Amino acid sequence: MHLHRSETDILIIGSGGAGLMAALHAAQSCPTLDITVAVKGLLGKCGCTRMVQGGYNVALSPGDSVERHFMDTINGGKWIPNQDLAWTLCETAVTRVRELENELGCFFDRNPDGSLHHKAFAGQTFDRTVHKGDLTGIEIISRLMEQALTLGLKALEEHRVLGLIPAADGSGISGALMVDVRTGDFRFVKAKAVLLATGGGPTMYRYHTPSGDKTMDGLAMALRLGLDLRDMEMVQFHPTGLLAGPDTRMTGTVLEEGLRGAGGHLLNGEGERFMENYDPKAERATRDVVSRSIFSEMRAGRTTPNGGVHVSMSHLGPEHVRKTFKGMVERCRDCGFDLAGGLVEVVPTAHYFMGGVVVDTDCRTAIPGLFVAGEDAGGVHGANRLGGNGVANSTVYGGIAGERMAALCETMPFAADPDETVIEAELARAREPFGRSGANVGDLRDRLMDNMWDDVGVMRDADRLARGVASLDALGEELMATGAGPEKRAFNLTWHDWLNLRSLVEISQVIARAAQIREDSRGAHYREDFPETGDLETSTFTVVREVDGKLEARHDPVVFSIVSPGESLIEAA
Amino acid sequence: MAGDDKDATLSVGVWRGDADGGEYVEYSVPHRASQTVLDVVTWIQRNIAPDLAYRFACRVGMCGSCAMTVNGRPRWTCRTHVDKVARNGRLTIAPLDNLPVVRDLAADMAPFFEKWKRANGAFQGGETRDDPIAEVRPDEPERKEADAAIECINCGICYAACDSVRWNPDYLGPAALNRVWALHNDRRDVARDDRLAAIGGEGGCHLCHSQAGCTAHCPQGLDPSGGIAGLKRALFRAALKGTV
Repeated sequence: MHLHRSETDILIIGSGGAGLMAALHAAQSCPTLDITVAVKGLLGKCGCTRMVQGGYNVALSPGDSVERHFMDTINGGKWIPNQDLAWTLCETAVTRVRELENELGCFFDRNPDGSLHHKAFAGQTFDRTVHKGDLTGIEIISRLMEQALTLGLKALEEHRVLGLIPAADGSGISGALMVDVRTGDFRFVKAKAVLLATGGGPTMYRYHTPSGDKTMDGLAMALRLGLDLRDMEMVQFHPTGLLAGPDTRMTGTVLEEGLRGAGGHLLNGEGERFMENYDPKAERATRDVVSRSIFSEMRAGRTTPNGGVHVSMSHLGPEHVRKTFKGMVERCRDCGFDLAGGLVEVVPTAHYFMGGVVVDTDCRTAIPGLFVAGEDAGGVHGANRLGGNGVANSTVYGGIAGERMAALCETMPFAADPDETVIEAELARAREPFGRSGANVGDLRDRLMDNMWDDVGVMRDADRLARGVASLDALGEELMATGAGPEKRAFNLTWHDWLNLRSLVEISQVIARAAQIREDSRGAHYREDFPETGDLETSTFTVVREVDGKLEARHDPVVFSIVSPGESLIEAA
Repeated sequence: MAGDDKDATLSVGVWRGDADGGEYVEYSVPHRASQTVLDVVTWIQRNIAPDLAYRFACRVGMCGSCAMTVNGRPRWTCRTHVDKVARNGRLTIAPLDNLPVVRDLAADMAPFFEKWKRANGAFQGGETRDDPIAEVRPDEPERKEADAAIECINCGICYAACDSVRWNPDYLGPAALNRVWALHNDRRDVARDDRLAAIGGEGGCHLCHSQAGCTAHCPQGLDPSGGIAGLKRALFRAALKGTV
């Protein structure tokens, strides 16, 4: 098996907000560094930073403060976040937004007097979300991408990383094994420092919003290295994903929160508004409450033709809706639905993954030289993420990782040699499905998404979770008996579908395992058999890791390093 | 609607091949009520042709990865409903024009981004992260021009639709010039004169013949053609003033 080998100073895996910001900051810290970015799709075009609609939370307005942003983040995260990570996020967001505007060229929306506009976003006590219309992500990633193009970095586009390779001498990371999607050639890139920034993305649910390329590859690789993964039960569901039926990639894509905020109604299959039966705030209740309410209607069988509920906006006046929600109305129209004047079917949809690799505020992991940033890292958001803290997280920590990696490189004369047995094992692992035929990989993916939706989804209990774990085990075995046909590796999407599915099944097992041991309801995690939130003072976070091929789950106590439950950093008014 | 008929099928010609050439291959695909062109391509890969190469990411018209030529026109396939484009149940799907082919429906976007870079499409600010954010009123005429050009998703559709690119592969093309127009109207940028000089030279905006294929095809409703006209006027004024 021929293996191309190359060497670089810094290897960045992923080109979303975290990956590109890391590249820019590493180059600024030390312009002579050799920087390589490997990405599954095209530079800046895959991943979810692009898809940010809402905006970027930052305490820049007069009257707002980092303390207030921090308290909102901790309260939103139900006291589970790592407080040092949350603090660094809120504090650094201030300089990061100025960097995005003044140095990188993002042109965010302004107030009539020319000052930066901050919009209101759910769960926050101050209007602090900076945005560019409702396409903030396009503005951020396009500006990052064009700056990255000027750096002269090595871009390995359409290169899928297969495994992280430790050093032969046990000193830390050595690099990553990857495959060139277009040619099918294998490549090992040796590096002094490696950043894992592939983005999480819970695409193992029947309904999901993230970009289609995201399949938990990063977390699956981290799991294989034996790293601790935290908060893995914490999957954020958005209440209104578009429901367009089976066999269409439109299904699951998000319809924005503002529809409910503006007075939109949710109607069940019998045409009745049902939200008031669950919460006095009705459609304006929080994301998790609305998601569970819709899920309950679905379980009771009061559904629309495709099995969801309807969102209805026409009572607000179709012209008004068309004007206020231009982007959403146009997207629905392109998909064949009339959002302004008719009914559109919606379902809760898996949106963001709070869980991830345990890191410190320098993005370091337990393996020297391996850094993690963005949605692959855990602990910033705890049990729930505030809208607007996602892109803040990726760009803040991507930048920090870039600086720390540059500093590390200056202390290292050369990269460590790889453990060749791990390279061999990862190559064999990637080639496993070749030569076998068997079930249709797409059908297996559908079954995974159904299992996770039914048993490890919006509402959980011990029996369902046990059933979920059993079906995941069975599915894993079936996948291993299924193949990708003869060994043709060049642009073989069906082989990649197989590899994607393997990552998804492995991380689904971790999600189910973490959900089993958290016996209280917190934020995004709801247990019907433990509907109350436990004592906040004794809060723990879950940690799962793989030991000798088996998952081990445990609780670690939350350290209230900055503020304890019952306290606040904000003076009472 | 045809999609409601369970037995309805689409006859789909898909271009299969690589840089050395290729041909259309015929497939029959079930027609559904809710179905985009990307869904048709996906169905073929999942059920008939597991080795079909194509590209997509976000599914909602934000990443610009899935653009292809559909019945002869460049389009974003994730947001093109089959019922909007199928003629008598017939679709042809090919990679984007004016770019090299990697394989099947995947075009090589490298020249497109190379030109973005060559046009100096990256912002150059005079302030740093330690400075306050510039006050720019939303009703300033320049800010309005910049806003109108800003939401490009770099999908390459305008580039594929451009006759001038077809005739002169050296031409920067509408997307890169649209970016230059947005920056030209961004008074925070300090390199506007240099940039104008750069696009006034070889491969620059004078190669545009105002056919406006870009504006007609832009899925985001942007007007690169208008922006290029604005750049030509700005170049003319700068030449009179002697700043380029």
